[in-house]
Amino acid sequence: MTRRTIVAAVLGLASFAFGQDEPLPKAEAILDRYVEVTGGKAAYEKRKNEVATGTFEFAAQGLKGALTRYSAEPAEEYLVTDIEGVGKIEQGMHNGVAWDKNPMIGPRIKTGAEKMQAVRESTFNSSLHWRDLYAKVETAGTETIDGDLCYKVVLTPKEGNPETTYYSKKSGLAVKTMMVAVNQMGEVPSEVFASDFKSFSGIMEPTKLIYKAAGQEFTLTIMDVKTNQPIPADRFEPPAEIKALMNKAADKK
Amino acid sequence: MNADKRGSKRIGLSVCGLVAVVLYGQAASPEKQRQIASFEKVWTTIRDKHWQKKPGGLDWLAIHAEFYPRIEAAKSDEEALAVMREMLGRLKQTHFGIFPAAVYNDVEGEGGGDGSTGIETRVLEGKAVVTDLDPGSAAEKAGVKRGWVVESVNGKPLAPVIEKLKSDPEIHELALERAVRSRLMGLTGNAIKVVFLDGAKAQVTRDLMLGQERGQTARFGNLPPMRVFFESKKFGNTGYVRFNMFLDLVRVMNGFGSAVENCMHCDGFIIDLRGNPGGIGGMAMGMAGWLVDKPDERLGTMYMRDATLNFVITPRAEVFTGPVAVLMDGSSASTSEILAGGLKDLGRARVFGTKSAAAALPSIFERLPNGDGFQYATANYISEGGKALEGLGVTPDVEVKLTREGLLAGHDAVLDAALEWIRKKK
Repeated sequence: MTRRTIVAAVLGLASFAFGQDEPLPKAEAILDRYVEVTGGKAAYEKRKNEVATGTFEFAAQGLKGALTRYSAEPAEEYLVTDIEGVGKIEQGMHNGVAWDKNPMIGPRIKTGAEKMQAVRESTFNSSLHWRDLYAKVETAGTETIDGDLCYKVVLTPKEGNPETTYYSKKSGLAVKTMMVAVNQMGEVPSEVFASDFKSFSGIMEPTKLIYKAAGQEFTLTIMDVKTNQPIPADRFEPPAEIKALMNKAADKK
Repeated sequence: MNADKRGSKRIGLSVCGLVAVVLYGQAASPEKQRQIASFEKVWTTIRDKHWQKKPGGLDWLAIHAEFYPRIEAAKSDEEALAVMREMLGRLKQTHFGIFPAAVYNDVEGEGGGDGSTGIETRVLEGKAVVTDLDPGSAAEKAGVKRGWVVESVNGKPLAPVIEKLKSDPEIHELALERAVRSRLMGLTGNAIKVVFLDGAKAQVTRDLMLGQERGQTARFGNLPPMRVFFESKKFGNTGYVRFNMFLDLVRVMNGFGSAVENCMHCDGFIIDLRGNPGGIGGMAMGMAGWLVDKPDERLGTMYMRDATLNFVITPRAEVFTGPVAVLMDGSSASTSEILAGGLKDLGRARVFGTKSAAAALPSIFERLPNGDGFQYATANYISEGGKALEGLGVTPDVEVKLTREGLLAGHDAVLDAALEWIRKKK
């Protein structure tokens, strides 16, 4: 066989392969693969809590800050972001109460779709528990994100707006999520780009997250993640202002 | 032969290029180039930054096709300005405007620097009248009084500037006040010579050393450092707060919260937003949370290209439920209008003073390539009562105007009216 024949044959095979519609994998398989490629079920199950530290940058506005996030099983969270010129923004989830306190708006308790979104986000090892968090998952096609061919998976939560996550066909990692973020000001279509995955205690996590919403863009950079730390028992307790709001709500009932 | 052909082709291309350059040079004088570049800047900005993908419901591409030939044909800067203004006029929306370079320079003044005399003025009946003096400022120490008229600064009379700016319908009170203010500022440590007309209508000259503005320096991202003051006091059993900007977030919000907390049993509470040009919009929601007890109430809604933001009020655990008065004037803008307009629409506050600046939107001023000033808004804001604040402003429930005579007599007619209303509500 001449060299030309070999080239023609390879090209022919390539076009044949290209011409075939490759069946899309089931969303369930894509989500389970994510767990596997990021460390595996056993590694996730060993992780009982986590303390992540990093930075926040809103470059267009010139705002920067430091963040620390404490999270623990089953769905406990305390996140504090200290931004120069803005102050300390705190949010948390404790015993099913989702709250937020910032110097601008004040303290508040999240309800409705915003609360359900907070529940999903604070669920510890949420990648492992997707079956509990979403009523339906389906593969909606493929799309190239930053040159990386990805499976597009639509995840419909039990309550709230569907989210679309793009999983790299090659690496299995989640590189982009599109969602309608809910907060007290309304619904804001948002995109989150995840990259720079690094291993912390055997689990790969993105260390760079770029958020795009309402024409703005900000970046979270995770510097360190420590797992199974001796987190004080009261770390997830809401601050006094939130407890006062909880008491007020209870009194009204 | 081939070489010759290639050579001819190259020469041909060069000639064509030369002709094109000559034609371009003929068509686009530097003046024309600036006009076209300015037109493109305006058109592109609206296309990319207007809150509606179809700005004003118009086919914006068709607008370009219609107006571009007219810009090309414009015979002067004035004609080009008229064409651009007509194009913006098609939007039928406020806060899209172009200010001729000369007017823009008049507003900006020549002062430069952040040194202040400590004088606050308002243009009353065409005159720059001293309405307030920063405590401990050079002006206060020099015996300047409320009600005096600022006639000239460093030998330059203010009257012609005020007259010129007032004659331009695009210039509002906020810009007028800014024009006067900029002339009373300069480099810290320098002195300026100010001629006043005192209460007896006699000319009085004072050399005033420029010092730091009242308040503390606040930083917020890329914004230049700004001096922000917050004051809180009581008139009898009525609480009163005043701050010059919605900035220095933590200090101002804590100050506001403490003032309300210390006034839970007051007869009333007054928020003085006169001269406050706004700042961080979200602070209005946080402040309203101390005054509105019903959950899920809104001050209004902001419409952006990619999102609709509701200015929702989150009530605090303990809320002041007594009468609330808000003081405003033509220099109260943006977040001031969002707070005052929303509280008024919700029936939670009574507004005293004069109509606000009608500049509630996040609007941006940029210089065009031809030197003109270009203002455009990037969002629309509808107050809870259903009206756009932009262009309409907040109309006071009780209109009270400051007068030179009242100020000279030591009265603040707007504050007095609010205190009287609270006294009657008791």
